[in-house]
Order: sequence, then C-alpha cells, then structure tokens
Amino acid sequence: MISSGKDLYLKRVGIWNVWGRNFLVFRKSWIVNLFWMVVEPTFVLFSIGYGVGAFISSIQGVAYVDFFFPALLCLTAMMVAFFETAYGSYSKLNFQKIYQAMILSPLEPKEIIFGEILWGGSKGFLSALGVTLVATVFGHTDNLLIIPALLVVFICAILFSSLGLLVVSFIKSHDQISVPTSGFIVPMSFICGTYFPLEQMPVALKYLVYLLPLTHAVGAVRGILLGGMPWWQIGLHILVLLLLTLLVVRAVQGRISKKLIH
Amino acid sequence: MEKSVAIEARGLMKRYDNDVAIGALNFEVLQGECFGLLGPNGAGKSTAIRMMYGSSLIDQGDLFILGLNIKNSGREIRSQIGVVPTEDGLETELSVRENLILFGRYHGIEKNLLHRRCEDLLKLVKLEEYADHRVPELPVGFRQRLVFARALINEPRILFLDEPTLSLDPSARQWVWNQIQNEKAQGRTLLLTTHDMEEAEKICDRIAIMDRGKVLAVGTPRELIQRLVGTQVIELQVPRGDLQYYLSRLSSHNFAFQVVKQQVNVHLKDNDDPQRVMNLVQGISLTLRQSGLSDVFFKLSGHDVRDELI
Ligand SMILES: Nc1ncnc2c1ncn2[C@@H]1O[C@H](COP(=O)(O)OP(=O)(O)OP(=O)(O)O)[C@@H](O)[C@H]1O
Ligand SMILES: [Mg+2]
Repeated sequence: MISSGKDLYLKRVGIWNVWGRNFLVFRKSWIVNLFWMVVEPTFVLFSIGYGVGAFISSIQGVAYVDFFFPALLCLTAMMVAFFETAYGSYSKLNFQKIYQAMILSPLEPKEIIFGEILWGGSKGFLSALGVTLVATVFGHTDNLLIIPALLVVFICAILFSSLGLLVVSFIKSHDQISVPTSGFIVPMSFICGTYFPLEQMPVALKYLVYLLPLTHAVGAVRGILLGGMPWWQIGLHILVLLLLTLLVVRAVQGRISKKLIH
Repeated sequence: MEKSVAIEARGLMKRYDNDVAIGALNFEVLQGECFGLLGPNGAGKSTAIRMMYGSSLIDQGDLFILGLNIKNSGREIRSQIGVVPTEDGLETELSVRENLILFGRYHGIEKNLLHRRCEDLLKLVKLEEYADHRVPELPVGFRQRLVFARALINEPRILFLDEPTLSLDPSARQWVWNQIQNEKAQGRTLLLTTHDMEEAEKICDRIAIMDRGKVLAVGTPRELIQRLVGTQVIELQVPRGDLQYYLSRLSSHNFAFQVVKQQVNVHLKDNDDPQRVMNLVQGISLTLRQSGLSDVFFKLSGHDVRDELI
C-alpha cells in the first residue's frame, strides 16, 4: 500500500517531475536551444528596433526601439512557447511516446499536461528573459518595471504553450502544424500592435485585433514599461490573458487526457 | 495455503468506436503466478493488458489489481506495478542510467535509494558497460533489457509485459524468458501477452486463450492440451479430392480431428492407439507428434483459423 504521505508527495512533485524531465533533456542541447531562443530575437531587436527604428524620430512620444521592445518580449515568448509544445509535444505524443511511458508511472495525465504547459511557458519566458539581458547590456532597460512586465510575459508564454498543446490535440499529422502557424501565429505577430500602433489599423480591423491574445499581452507589457496607460486598462488586458489561458488549459486537459488514456 | 488473488477481471468490456475490442472478459490471476494471454493479432490482448495497467479506460465491468479497484486507485496501483509495453517510450536523448533515474523520480523514490537501486538493476540486466550510453546506441535486445530494468525500478508486485519478445533474436528472447523466470522466483506476479504458442507453453503457469475479444479457455498448458486435444496428434496430408472420404472414415470411428487447410490433424486420447488411425488411412503420408497449444487453439477457434498461426 502506498501511504497517504507518499500519495501527497507524489501529488506535489508530479508536475515538477514532468518539468524536470524537460529541463534534463534541454540541458543536453542547451547551446543549440539557446541559440534559437535568444540569438534570433536579438537580431530582430537590432535590425528592427535600432535599425529600422533609426528612421523613425518618435512614436507615441518615445524612440521606436522603446516602443518595439515590449512587443518583442511578447513575440519571443509566444513563438518559443508555442513551438515548444506544438512541435515538441506532438513528437513526444506521436513519435517518442514519452507520455505513454510516463503514465506507466504514478504520474497522472493532468500532471503531465500541466507539466508540459509549464515547461513550454518557462522556455518562452526564459528566452524573453535572455532578450531582456541583451537589451540591458546595451543599456536599454534600466527600470524595475521590467519585473511586473516579465510577469505578464510569463502569462503570455503559458497561454501560447497551452495553445500549442491544443493544436497537438487537433492535428492528424506533423505538417498540419503549419496551418495554425501560418494562419494564426505569424499573422498575429504582425498586426497586434507589435511593429506599429493599433491606431494605424483600419477601424474594422482594429476591433477584430482585440480578439487576438497577443494584442492584450503587448498592450499590458507596453503599458507597464512605457507608462501612460491607466492601471485599470493594464488590469483588463491581464484579465483577458488569464481568462483565455484558463479556457485553453481546460480544453487541452480534456482533449489530451483522452489521447493518453483511451 | 490459499494463494491470494493478484488480478481479478469481471465482465470487462471495451469498445473502439463501434467495434467491440473486448467482450466480457473474466479471469483471475493468483499471486506469484505467471499468467499468459495468448491469441492471434487483433485478439484484444494489448487492449486487455492496457486496461490492467491503467492506460486504457474500461467501458464496462470491474477490475481489481492487488485488491484495489482500478477505477479509483489508479495511482496507487501504478506505484505497485511495472510495465514492459510494446512501444517502449524510452528517452532517446538520455543515457541508460538517466532513463532509470528519471523513471524512479516519477515514482517518488528517495534519491539515495534510487541511485542504489539503479546500479543494482544495471547489474541485474547486465547493462553496466552501457550505463552512460544513449539509448539509440543500444542494440534492440539491450534496449528491451533497459525497459525491463525501468519496469523494476519500483520493485513492483506485478509485472505486465505486452509481447515482450516481439522482434527479438533467439538469444535476446532467451534472456527475456530467463528474466521472467527469475522475477517469478522472486515472488512477483507476471502477466504477459504473446501470440507465440511455444513461448506461452514454456514460461506460463496458466494461460487464457483469447480470440476476438473473448477468452476461449483458461488453464495450465498441460491441462488445456489434455482436456481439449489429447496428448498426441497425427497429421495427415490428404489429397484434395479424397478429403470427404477420409473425414467420414475418421468420424465413423469416433476420432476427433481438425482440418487445417489441406491437413487433417487427428487428436489422440491417452488410451488411443496410433496404429488404429494408421490402419484407417493407409497410403496417406502422416506424421505422429506431441500435441501443443496450437492444436488447442485450432480446436477452440473452429474453422476460421487465422493465417498467422499456421
Ligand atoms: N486505439 C484503437 N482504436 C481503434 N481500434 C483499436 C485501437 N486499439 C485496438 N483496436 C482494435 O481492437 C482490437 C484488438 O486490438 P489489440 O491491439 O488489443 O489486439 P492484440 O491482441 O494486441 O493484437 P496484436 O497481436 O496485433 O498486438 C483490434 O481489432 C484493433 O483493431
Ligand atoms: Mg498487441
């Protein structure tokens, strides 16, 4: 018999064991991983933020790079988190059969799913953190407001890592991942107030854009870092992010559980 | 002394979409026993064993593992069993040792104990030299040893093995068979599936013969053979046109037989004299041999014998 103490212990560590498995594997190839996680957004920071930004004297009263930086944090978190689960979890479920081995242990499907979401989110957050460090080295961020901003970036990463897993629960083959990627993620990366302010959008589109999660992440992070946004508006953006996350996590839990035990 | 029951299945049912994969499965496995589910491809062996180790949901019926109801004690059951599945799900980016340690962590085994057990298991399955090798570097047979060690990391009371010798070469097969005997000697209960009659006869104390989601018969291999087909078989190669003639001759002398393609297998009871059959079918080429489980299977499954068993 397992004692109730052991049972409690297993409950407590389940999610972290799944997270830890991913961290262990990540450490094996951290140079490659780090490259794609931080170096790529760093290039974007320099080419778009400083490069293209040099031609723009000011935007919403700040330098272009300051306007762009909050969006870059969210974009990085979104991309890394989404691809981590969309590709990574798809392969773990369908090729490597990692989850199928995990459920042979006392781990429960719920713990595997939450562990995976948390891992994808952590990875997205980690790369946004990397970008922040690069920006700090170049004297860009010197403000403690970066801490609450990164917190929102973390929520954004969790949301997109859950969305990646949601995609996994629907697609029938590996190449179908490109459908939500080119149809949703990539377009979103351009229009959610990332490279240019929402005010530039045609009116009809402007309201549509508020339905997209990235808009709220960028809105909140920019509001925190640049100031000038009433606190309730920041709060509203965060609330939308949290509600969406809850919704997606719920859906993922039901759908992926059915793939693990059927 | 009465042995206690390790696994009890009562009326287990499972449907995939509208196809019945398992229809009303009933059996008991005693503690310390090596029990085999034997049947051809698609018989429902994997579905049945997956329900037992908790990777498949049960549509109807009850299943008790070590006295615990699988419906509400899944985690507790999984902490006391070990599984060797067909798709191993090993961590290909990690080393042999890391695979074991990781799985031990999922089991919540205390660190020092886990490391000690890991080294013991590496010795047991003779993978010490490979401990730091990554999984893809292992030959298939050694990979299966690692899966074995992983299944033993929590010192399980029951070991579930789904076709443990599938795609192994003869020496790797022999290793698995020996290992199964060792685990039995340690007092563990084993439940395995196989489509290999010889394997079932060799290593199982009792078997359940399955086909199309149903158990056709349960017993020790000897008992099933004795009861259902007798100890000896005479195989007759009968020319196509003469089949009816010989079958009616055999019937009129009350011999039990089974037609498998162009071959007629005559089942002899203990007191039957083979010579009597030989006299009936003079001029036909025949072979006398000991009965095996495949004869039992042919008999049980009737005429629509599946090709892969022949
Ligand atoms: N995930 C699934 N979805 C739909 N049908 C399934 C699924 N798994 C198994 N089946 C069906 O259930 C039946 C029993 O399959 P199962 O895998 O349990 O047989 P098996 O005895 O293990 O055969 P094998 O020797 O091929 O491993 C088969 O008809 C199979 O097609
Ligand atoms: Mg099978």
